[in-house]
Amino acid sequence: MPIQTSKETTALIVTITGKMDALTAPEYEKKFSELIAEGEISFIVDFEQVDYISSAGLRVLLATAKRVKAVNGKLLLANITGVVKDVFEISGFCTLFPTHDSVASALSASLG
Amino acid sequence: MIKIDHLSKSFGNLEVLKDITVEIKAGEVISIIGPSGTGKSTFLRCINLLDRPSGGSIRIDGVDILDPKADVPKVRQKMNMVFQSFNLFSHLSVMDNLTLGPIKLLGMSKEDAGSKAVDLLKLVGLAEKAESYPDELSGGQKQRVAIARCMAMDPKIILFDEPTSALDPTMVSEVLSVIRRLAKAGMTMAIVTHEMDFARDVSNRVLYMDDGIIYEEGTPEQIFVHPQKEKTKTFINRVRSFTYHIASPDYDLYAMNAEIETFCDKQILAVKQRYNLLLIVEEMLQIYNPFLSKALLDINLAYSEKKESLEVVFESTGEAMNVLDKNLLSDELGLTLIQSVTESIDYQRLNNKNRVTLILKKQ
Repeated sequence: MPIQTSKETTALIVTITGKMDALTAPEYEKKFSELIAEGEISFIVDFEQVDYISSAGLRVLLATAKRVKAVNGKLLLANITGVVKDVFEISGFCTLFPTHDSVASALSASLG
Repeated sequence: MIKIDHLSKSFGNLEVLKDITVEIKAGEVISIIGPSGTGKSTFLRCINLLDRPSGGSIRIDGVDILDPKADVPKVRQKMNMVFQSFNLFSHLSVMDNLTLGPIKLLGMSKEDAGSKAVDLLKLVGLAEKAESYPDELSGGQKQRVAIARCMAMDPKIILFDEPTSALDPTMVSEVLSVIRRLAKAGMTMAIVTHEMDFARDVSNRVLYMDDGIIYEEGTPEQIFVHPQKEKTKTFINRVRSFTYHIASPDYDLYAMNAEIETFCDKQILAVKQRYNLLLIVEEMLQIYNPFLSKALLDINLAYSEKKESLEVVFESTGEAMNVLDKNLLSDELGLTLIQSVTESIDYQRLNNKNRVTLILKKQ
């Protein structure tokens, strides 16, 4: 599973690469659960390298957002563009999640 | 002139020709079209007895050529064949290729055969190549020599087996124009071809072969403009399709996605269309997932070059049920995504199967 994390003061940046589909979604969900169990509560998910997302990927984000909310954390999304952005817009997920044009902008928002 | 009744041909257990009945009349130009592997070439080879039919009869001018007493070499003189791969004698000059048969089999004098050969080479535009050897000719020139060699035997009919398939695209037209010229001169011909424009233009009658039978036949207008049967319509519209069978919930999604991507590559689909296709298939499979342990599912992708449309058909066994019925869905996320990338969604119960047909939005 192509996933990388880097720790910033206010959030953990999670960089995902490739597809968030029915095949990879369970692994992503497991990874987010593990990170929350380790005490992480604020995430910025960087979508710059994501070229495909389906409802299975969206459901992982939704489930993670619920868990994060339960511990008073934040889930921010950055760099959602192209066909992936279309899926977010069609599904209404753009209004469900705070999205940012860059990781830097998401980091600034995570301060608030 | 040639009357074929209930012709069949099997190779071992493989039944290539099932039941072919057709008549070819003098002066007719017949094109035989259809997907690869449907027995078109075998059909021609059976007429010429290069392959011995397994059953049925072939009568030429009333004579049954499958009769054991039939004089096969004499039969072959009446109908010569042009092959995909030319089959010229490489050790003989063009002139000798053309005169060998007439001298040896028709008993012509060398002078007469030579003079006829020159006329025929003029007809195919290669008079100056009489002394050349096949290796010195281009593919198109070789095929034109092969046609002239056929004509040298004064055949009553010429059988063309994909005469342009082995040619560089730049050489196709020179060969087709020679065949057109023969058609205008009234030569009887049966042509297996993938050149649809040519078939439409040159033939009096078109036979569409599929699965070992003549599935539909008619004038070029009937076959190319108003085909009546489903497979003919599919072929004429240049639909390219791919089917994936799912027999258990543990199907290999990786392998399936790879095959869909290969299909997209072949059709040269735009990135967005490819994305939408993968999305539709994945979302539909997620919706089908609870039923896959007890139902068989076929996914058929079909791209029509002519209409530039991409259609996905999901056909499943089991009781009558539209999987996209909102009352059956746990949430509508998948359906929303599917609806957003499709132009139409249609459910039908056909032959005890549930069929959902989705047509993707054009990009």
